Amino acid sequence: MEELKKKLKEQIIEALNLQDTKPEDIDDNAPLFGEGLGLDSIDSLELMVLLERQYGIKVEDPREGRKILQSVQSMAEFIQSKQQPA
Amino acid sequence: MKVKCYIQGMAAISPQSTFEGDITNMPLVRTESNRLACIEPDYKPYIPANSLRRMTRILKMGLTAALKCLAESGVSTPGPIVTGTGKGSLQDTEKFIKEIEQYKETALNPTPFIQSTYNSVNGLIALQQQGTDYNNTFVHRGFSFENALVDSMMLLQEGYTHTLTGGFEEITPEHFYIKSRIGHWRTEPVANTDLFNQELPGTIAGEGSTFFVLGAEANEHSIAALSACKLLYKPDPMQLTATLRELGADADLIISGTNGDSNHAHYYHLLNNTLTQPSIPFKHLCGEYETAGAFALWLAASLLKAGTIPSALFPMVQQLPSNFKKIVIYNHFYGEQHTVMVVERV
Amino acid sequence: MAERVFITGMGMVTAIGDNVAENLQHLRQQKSGLGFTDYIDTIYKQVLPVGEIKLSNEALFNRAGIPVQGGFTRTTLLGLVAMLEALQQAGIRNLSKEPTGFINASTVGGMCDTEKVYFDLINPEKEGDFIESINTLDCADCTQRIADTVGFHDHIATISTACSSSANALMFGARMIKHGMYRRMVCGGTEALTRFTLNGFNSLKNVDKQFCRPFDNQRTGLNLGEGAAYLVLESESFARANNSTILAELSGYCNANEAFHPTSPSPEGDGAYAAMKNALAMSGHKLEDVQYVNVHGTATLNNDVSEGRALERLFGRKVPPFSSTKPFTGHTLAAAGAIEAIYAVLSIQHGIIFPNLNFSEKMEELSIIPVTELQEGVLIKNVISNSFGFGGNNASLVLSKYEG
Repeated sequence: MEELKKKLKEQIIEALNLQDTKPEDIDDNAPLFGEGLGLDSIDSLELMVLLERQYGIKVEDPREGRKILQSVQSMAEFIQSKQQPA
Repeated sequence: MKVKCYIQGMAAISPQSTFEGDITNMPLVRTESNRLACIEPDYKPYIPANSLRRMTRILKMGLTAALKCLAESGVSTPGPIVTGTGKGSLQDTEKFIKEIEQYKETALNPTPFIQSTYNSVNGLIALQQQGTDYNNTFVHRGFSFENALVDSMMLLQEGYTHTLTGGFEEITPEHFYIKSRIGHWRTEPVANTDLFNQELPGTIAGEGSTFFVLGAEANEHSIAALSACKLLYKPDPMQLTATLRELGADADLIISGTNGDSNHAHYYHLLNNTLTQPSIPFKHLCGEYETAGAFALWLAASLLKAGTIPSALFPMVQQLPSNFKKIVIYNHFYGEQHTVMVVERV
Repeated sequence: MAERVFITGMGMVTAIGDNVAENLQHLRQQKSGLGFTDYIDTIYKQVLPVGEIKLSNEALFNRAGIPVQGGFTRTTLLGLVAMLEALQQAGIRNLSKEPTGFINASTVGGMCDTEKVYFDLINPEKEGDFIESINTLDCADCTQRIADTVGFHDHIATISTACSSSANALMFGARMIKHGMYRRMVCGGTEALTRFTLNGFNSLKNVDKQFCRPFDNQRTGLNLGEGAAYLVLESESFARANNSTILAELSGYCNANEAFHPTSPSPEGDGAYAAMKNALAMSGHKLEDVQYVNVHGTATLNNDVSEGRALERLFGRKVPPFSSTKPFTGHTLAAAGAIEAIYAVLSIQHGIIFPNLNFSEKMEELSIIPVTELQEGVLIKNVISNSFGFGGNNASLVLSKYEG
């Protein structure tokens, strides 16, 4: 899980071109949108693309996406839940 | 359209040092390839880092020139925002076309699509400056910027005190290649300073982002006055001659869009035969592109303000006039869209 | 004072008809043009519905009355079909008799055809006829080919402000008339379906897999469409002197920017509110004089909330009957403003309010619902037509009955 979160942070920084941000600057539970990293709705679409391209997980509904993309923690949990066979 | 308006502020990002520099002591940037590239400024003072991270080149060039122009003009709000661009964000268009192919239409990043929209620069300016007035984008090759001017002149007559009006264009290596396939560029490399030595098929490619604040009334910021902007679509020689005579007979300096391209040089020969006043070129400074007329207007206003023509920028012109008050700019884009602008000292 | 601007000719082609009369017929019959694409090469062929015009390019050449030839993209051909009807309806046989400007609108130019050969264009090893399509990459190409085919040789321009493009083209043309630059202008837009735009909107996750449901609580997005429409605008004095048939008046318009977000409208519809309010003020009419609003109504989550809130803010408890005609045509982007301006004129001429198809459940954010049944025999004097685009570009037009 910790490794996944670290990797995820690196991928977020790269995908969103957050030039002055380092993985350790992103708190696992800090909100990605609004206050936290200051991301917006276009970033949320880009993060859904990241999930699809890097993890093969497709999020169809933007409303569902908002819940998954709350924080690095919620993203990682979602990825893990999808990767473990049900 | 013949209405007088005043250039209250301007900014140009171009292949020359126009963004920071003063035209009177600006060195001529010599180029050896046929693709002139803009000298890009540091964008950080103009655009917040969080916005900058997503933006491609022409968006940054467009927004930054607009912001600097507004700052120079002393206006607090942009007023109506009207621009022209022939090609919009090529980088984004190319990227999105390729990603559709590469990812087989799945998992596509929306950003290049959004930014490929021709009015994305207008939207960004409005967003960053909270400009909620009229907002329009013209995308008609060599009429793009000039239609934006016509629109702006109408807006000023309709009661707006000022407009933010600009033109922007980029050239990518890929698009340079595409246009080379229909003979837009010289086949052999030519230095920009040698562009006019002989007329051969094709010219040199360029790009730029140029913005103006146009005001209805003269004020202490006024740099020059724009008193006419005329567009002629595929004119016959008689029509063109008549327009040049009508607008240019009493001008004391001509700025010619001549670009050394033998395929369309006859129009510039017609200009030289019709208006025999001293003439200077400008395409060696910025290259050929759809909205090069915006650069020519910047040049005319800069020269009128300086009151002198710096010889360093025009080594190919034998004798430069020292006294000029009224400049006529004539330009055309590959023989189709012809434009004439009249710029006067305030 | 500046001259009034009248509409004296209209021509169109959409998924519900190859001309104005067919469009009217299918609006009345509530026959949607949405379905699956025959012409776009996409993996979404059987997945994402579109409003496609079921005429091949060859058939369109035929309608346009010109031989099949290179360089004429579907965008150009659709435009030509609509243009010929508009000129014919206005009784214009020779454009040289009266200087006439042409303001066109396009979002992606000839992308419909260039996207098929783009990788050949950038490949030095590929040679062939496709090279003649290089100029069709931009938005001006269709404008100039239409102009050259029918004989426009005065002021021409192409506007691209995303989904509000042709509303802005109409506005620009009307203003040129009011400024006395021309007595007659032809304005509108043309848009062909492309893999580029389909994937673009799909990447924004706002394309519905079902037929779009504007102003419905369950809506999930838009369906794209294609089409073209042009309107002939004339100054009052010219229209009278020329004995033109006056179909309606373009009595008001406004373009206002929202300065909120690159693609999303503001939740309270500030731009839509300002555009409608100012356009109506310009027309000289009051809120209660508006009998119908042809809304932008794309059926995206954000648009309909924003536009609905703007209607509620502007009209209070007396929001006039409103509907989106996008479920008939799909969202035709650059052509939408002109297509819907013609629908507004038809509404005035025939006293009809078009139904908003596919509606079943009121949106939780709003207290208003669209018109769901066709209404005939209504006295309609003023219609507001909305077109909103990316970049916060909001345009509203007011079309009014001509009463002398």
